[in-house]
Amino acid sequence: MLDMIIKNGQIIDGTGASAYNADVAIKDGKIVEVGQIDQPAAREVDANGLVVSPGFIDPHTHFDAQLLWDGAAKPAIEHGVTTIVPGNCSLSLAPLKAEHRMKLVGMFNQIEEMPHIAFEEGVEWNWETFDEFVQRIKQDLMINVAPLVGHSVLRLWVMGQASMHRQADETEIADMQKLLRECLDAGAIGLSTSFVDMDERLQPVPSRYATPHELDALCEVLKEYDRILQVVHEFFDTDLTIARIDQLADLSRKHDITTTLSPLFVNADNFDGVDRIMSRIDEQMDAGARVWPQVQTRPIDISFCFAIPSLLFMRLRTWYSVIRFGTVESIVAAFKDKDQRAKMVAEAQPMMKLWQGLILRQVKTEANQQYVGKTLTQIAESRGTDALNVMIDLSLEEDLDAHFLAADMGHNNDAKVGSLLTHPNVMIGASDGGAHILSFSTYGDTGYLFSRFVRETPTMSLEAAVKKVTADPAEIWGIQDRGLLKPGYAADITIFDAKTIDRGEEYYVQDVPGDGYRYVRDSIGVNTVVIGGDIAYTHAEGYTDAANGQIIGGRA
Amino acid sequence: MKTVRKSIFPEAEDTWASIAARELTDTSQEDAVAKIQSWNLHVFARRAPDDDAPRAGNPILPSDVIFLEAPLTA
Repeated sequence: MLDMIIKNGQIIDGTGASAYNADVAIKDGKIVEVGQIDQPAAREVDANGLVVSPGFIDPHTHFDAQLLWDGAAKPAIEHGVTTIVPGNCSLSLAPLKAEHRMKLVGMFNQIEEMPHIAFEEGVEWNWETFDEFVQRIKQDLMINVAPLVGHSVLRLWVMGQASMHRQADETEIADMQKLLRECLDAGAIGLSTSFVDMDERLQPVPSRYATPHELDALCEVLKEYDRILQVVHEFFDTDLTIARIDQLADLSRKHDITTTLSPLFVNADNFDGVDRIMSRIDEQMDAGARVWPQVQTRPIDISFCFAIPSLLFMRLRTWYSVIRFGTVESIVAAFKDKDQRAKMVAEAQPMMKLWQGLILRQVKTEANQQYVGKTLTQIAESRGTDALNVMIDLSLEEDLDAHFLAADMGHNNDAKVGSLLTHPNVMIGASDGGAHILSFSTYGDTGYLFSRFVRETPTMSLEAAVKKVTADPAEIWGIQDRGLLKPGYAADITIFDAKTIDRGEEYYVQDVPGDGYRYVRDSIGVNTVVIGGDIAYTHAEGYTDAANGQIIGGRA
Repeated sequence: MKTVRKSIFPEAEDTWASIAARELTDTSQEDAVAKIQSWNLHVFARRAPDDDAPRAGNPILPSDVIFLEAPLTA
């Protein structure tokens, strides 16, 4: 008897081949047949009118911390994602000596906006090695996890404080190589590094003190295991990006490894730059390198309230100093102080166009509900003031619990973004799932891919879009036996309605340990998600208690 | 491959002056430093470590890309 049969679905198998109607048979966590199946099964799922595809793979996430209290990495699964890659950008939660825990918490807080209190109340620190961390998150794991090990934490383990101000000597590099081998043996899919991130002191993270020689030595180890190198590069500058592409291409050819850099954004002022970057990628790929840029599907938007430090104010020194380390009381006091307010208004004046376009998205008082959904320009007109002052006034009226949305801040030209998403040398990724939880929702990029670039524009076929988030990332990352609907492959399956799949509206929710908040989106049109042969989520009943998630370590 | 903007990675303990002396040998030291700084605002604009910190006053990191010419499109 089969464990499960998915009947009458429209099969899109991940290869890019045309859809066809068939059943999928599952036994012992594997797909055993795709076709017309008459065998009995313990469970039958009716997929009539729905697409049956391989589970989606999200290759750029920071769910590291969340996995310690939520083995489903919610809401990733309900968006059809069955495998995630955490540990990007040089930051993983292991290997980590006890004495460095608070340092790493500081980095996660600064870079990924994960609150300190979430670590204090949601984390039992009972690991040091990568293997111990993997064993820790394997308990109650619902989603598959292909974890990267972070270069900054390797340095921190081997060099301690010195990792934050100097290059490594040959003995330390050899120790890092040994440590990396231990992590890869324990299930790491590769190594991540960063050329841009800052720590909680606003100083460069440890990986930025590594010489090219050190990175080269670590890539020697990746070659031994045929594993991947992920890099976050200077994505804000075209020439720097091209220099990093060349660096990664050299490493890729020398060590015969796959490399990926993220993110690659399209903004109104860098169309030419993106063309130059992709031209260089094409040249290097043609010359035998494997350098995959990651492009996200969604436009850039940022939500914020003044109770929480926001990325949006990093360049406004007075604002950031008030918000970054302030309490609600001290921030309110700053806004109420006539001189301080005047100074802040003057500093933010040059960005008036941004404030004018902000949308009020959530308030707590009844009196201000009338303004929700309106721009600050509209609200300011009705109050006889300007957008900047109305932002402060509303924040004071709401005890800082007024939420604003800066929408469409970039990466929003459908034609240009679409041309990247369909490019054969581009990987769809860079969702940042689990990161920046206080600035925007990093969930639902797959739904947005189908709604925006398959149905609305339309830019690519349904089959091509499925391939881009299943078989392609599986191949690039060396995620074996996943990404295709094929006998012998893991039964990671997403069943969705091609006519409605989408991401829901962003909202603010209190579900982070320590009574913390984050922005999330629900899914639309995802009917059922199967992981490891068990149903993990259905639209009708929500999450199940299945815990079939695996640690995926890359090519054997 | 197409020509791209010329760059290097810094060597151990490199400073603006040591890079200028090594890479722009036909230019006076003062001019060479000024040019390299102007081509590398991503490093020059960075806050240098404090005087009492390791690498005091030197903002150049071992992983940095240092350009040796102006943008080709300029």
